[in-house]
Amino acid sequence: MNIYVCIKQVPDTETKIKLNADSSGIDTAGIKWILSPFDEFAVEEALRVKEKNAGSTVTVISAGPTRVVDSIRTALAMGCDNGIHVELPESADNAMAAKALAGALKKEAQVDLVFTGKEAIDDGAAQTSALIAEGMGIPCVTVVLGIEYSATAVKCKREVEGGAFEMVEAPLPVLIAAQKGLNEPRYASLPNIMKAKKKEVKSLKAADVAVTDGDQKIRFKNFQLPPPKQSGKKVPGEIPAAAKELVRLLHEEAKVV
Amino acid sequence: MTWQTFAFIIVAGFAFTYAGLKVKVLLDLMRKQQGKGPKLDRIPERIVASIANVFGQSAVNQKQPIGFIHTVIFWGFLIISIGTVEQFLSTLYSGWGLEFIGNTAYSILVRVQDYFTTAILFAVAYAFYRRLVIKPAGLTRSNDANIVLTFTGGLMVAILFMNVFMILAHHPYYADAMPVSNELARFFNGMNPETAEVWFTVFKWIHMLLVLGFSMYIPSSKHLHILAAGPNSFLKKLDREKAMKPIDFTNESLTQYGAAKITDLNWKDDLDLYSCTECGRCEDLCPAWNTGKPLSPKKLIIDLKANLYRNKERILAGKYDEIEPIIDGNITEDVIWACTSCRACEVACPVFIEQTDKIYDIRRNLVMMESKFPAEVQTVFKNMETNASPWAFAASDRANWSDGLEVKTLSEVADATALDVLLWVGCAGSFDDRNKKVLRSFVSLLKKADVKFAILGNEEQCTGDPARRIGNEYLFQTLATANIENLNRYNVKKIVTACPHCFNTLKNEYKDFGGTYEVIHHSQYISQMIREGKLKPANTLDAKVTFHDSCYLGRWNNVYDEPRAVLESVPGVTFVEMKNHHDQSMCCGAGGGRMWMEEKIGKRVNITRTEQALDTGASIIAAACPFCMTMMNDGLKSKEKQDTVKIMDIAELMDQATN
Repeated sequence: MNIYVCIKQVPDTETKIKLNADSSGIDTAGIKWILSPFDEFAVEEALRVKEKNAGSTVTVISAGPTRVVDSIRTALAMGCDNGIHVELPESADNAMAAKALAGALKKEAQVDLVFTGKEAIDDGAAQTSALIAEGMGIPCVTVVLGIEYSATAVKCKREVEGGAFEMVEAPLPVLIAAQKGLNEPRYASLPNIMKAKKKEVKSLKAADVAVTDGDQKIRFKNFQLPPPKQSGKKVPGEIPAAAKELVRLLHEEAKVV
Repeated sequence: MTWQTFAFIIVAGFAFTYAGLKVKVLLDLMRKQQGKGPKLDRIPERIVASIANVFGQSAVNQKQPIGFIHTVIFWGFLIISIGTVEQFLSTLYSGWGLEFIGNTAYSILVRVQDYFTTAILFAVAYAFYRRLVIKPAGLTRSNDANIVLTFTGGLMVAILFMNVFMILAHHPYYADAMPVSNELARFFNGMNPETAEVWFTVFKWIHMLLVLGFSMYIPSSKHLHILAAGPNSFLKKLDREKAMKPIDFTNESLTQYGAAKITDLNWKDDLDLYSCTECGRCEDLCPAWNTGKPLSPKKLIIDLKANLYRNKERILAGKYDEIEPIIDGNITEDVIWACTSCRACEVACPVFIEQTDKIYDIRRNLVMMESKFPAEVQTVFKNMETNASPWAFAASDRANWSDGLEVKTLSEVADATALDVLLWVGCAGSFDDRNKKVLRSFVSLLKKADVKFAILGNEEQCTGDPARRIGNEYLFQTLATANIENLNRYNVKKIVTACPHCFNTLKNEYKDFGGTYEVIHHSQYISQMIREGKLKPANTLDAKVTFHDSCYLGRWNNVYDEPRAVLESVPGVTFVEMKNHHDQSMCCGAGGGRMWMEEKIGKRVNITRTEQALDTGASIIAAACPFCMTMMNDGLKSKEKQDTVKIMDIAELMDQATN
């Protein structure tokens, strides 16, 4: 099987986000970059499929500035075989990234399965997976918690609103976007970390996948940080009076009732 | 040649060849080990130490009365062996003896042997009584042990009877020097010398055959310690402080990290296995074993030895691929993860087995080769990889604990030589709310004493101790090299830290990676500031205070007195020891990376230790380690004692006591 995983590099979850000088984006200085956690489920699933199907290869693809190669290496260390990096500017949006990733996938001889995370934890847009599938003309199943594989199709358990699940069947090739709970991602073993350092990561330019500036559909004008979190308030006094005061605060200060 | 000489040559030749071949197999197994063994250094110190431990029996005598009993048997065995050698030689060269040393000397020798023979008989009787009636916890009561005692007792009986009949047959000039045998000879008064001579020969042969049989039995018995324990005490780590063995990751020919198979251990590990007498002292204070975990340091050693023997043929044939893994039904992963690396087992072991080293090696394989470890540890590794702290906090928030204290960072000072000391904060001091208070108190003390100090601030990273103890040597070395580079760039020479884990790593383990510093624990630093009069405890604290020894301060680094000196300097304090203290202290349960693992099996270690602290009736439990503090705090909450009993760091107590 020819298995592909599209991944995104995102700021570490503990990052204290700061804005750049003109507030047109975040200040990337000093940020620790990690592989987006949902993409880890995607990588893990791809590796498990590979392990069950002898002769399979897993290729990991990421689109973005040069730094994203580090995250490709992280996936390679987990056990992926090959890496492809499509070079895109820092400002690339979901549409541009999806076009680049679909473009890179279309260059491949045979694609059976494509895995992604259900969303990236930085913008939380959950757009790219569906856009890649659209670009490739293949079905897409998102928010997937469980997969049954057959030679020609997949049966996916996906989460829907309200805590319910639905079962979706799709023929191969298919794109599957992983939800937390699909599996427990492995920790890269040291021999694999060592091997990953030597694995080749193929590099593509935007032009190689026919991506132009015009493919960026969103231009960010201005970013604002959320207001700092207020510390909790304790309403003192007897319960009837305190309840009254609590309602007043919720109404007048918090403006929620 | 007499028939005796002839028979002896054949029998002894067979026995010694058999035993020799068995010992050769043991040596061959040692030679086949793939792991790198220790280097031999400081030979004169080793000689002194091993004389004290072998002939002085000092480690054996840590436990009584069995230590004394063992000493009697050991010395008796040595003295009586002189007679055995004499007996063997006299059988080979008819009539040869040690009498040439002079009548007086020979008489003394014979007298001492006679007394020891009797003493050993009593000692063996006690040992049987202990095994069969007292049945101490921890002691493996095996047939092997009973056979060894039977051999030992049988040898003594044979000697006594041999001497009895020799007295009756020959009336040697030194008969008076054998008071016990002489006394026993009365029972056979009147026996004619020819009959006595026959009985003498019979018992002489019984004795010789027992010695030869015993020598054939020993190599495959736990009694092998009589060969292995001596060399093991010569080869033991001379200092209590020790560093884990570094792995050279630049060596590309290295393909196995840690121990997956018994052959991945080193030759000294084998010697450890050969030395074990199954006495069970290692279990006495093991926090894992005593709280119902599957780890017994003794059983681990016995199981490793069994694995070695089970794979003997394959190892000797060089069929490494066919050797069974260490992790099996006996040595489960739960066994390996239960260790808190407190080293109570190593302190207790009379033959200097280093149980924890094996556990670290096995963990290294599990983590680095097989990615197998408790699931919750993965987050810890990832936090350390991305934010250089086992807790999930942004590295850029590392210095926030010092807000408002005006603590300088090294980047502001530029060169550490302008300072008295660098304060190494550690992750707990930086990010854990309770321990931030400890650091703030310690800073207050440093300021009261006008100490010129700085911190690394956001440049500080976790020392890597949790990663190393859990088995992720690669991650440890990544963090260690980054820290060492920073410390060396700023010319740091002297470091003080309130965390015993940081203390141990900076002091004992960074040396192997190019970081040599004078590292002081804050308990030592505070105690020194008091001695020098820079801190004057003036405020009275009327309280009963006990102290919980941190393993990485005490057993790992021999720091016991300073924290106690600090506590005792506070006016009004009544200091009480817990039942287990100093090197007999019990771990809080957080060491060896256990701090970040769930404790699902048995009773919680921290609760057991908290109960011991509560037993003292103290209203303050003093600690000198952030992890101990967290564990004991949780223990107090579980016992619902947090309102009546407080856990405080010694720095906090001293800060209250000084103005």
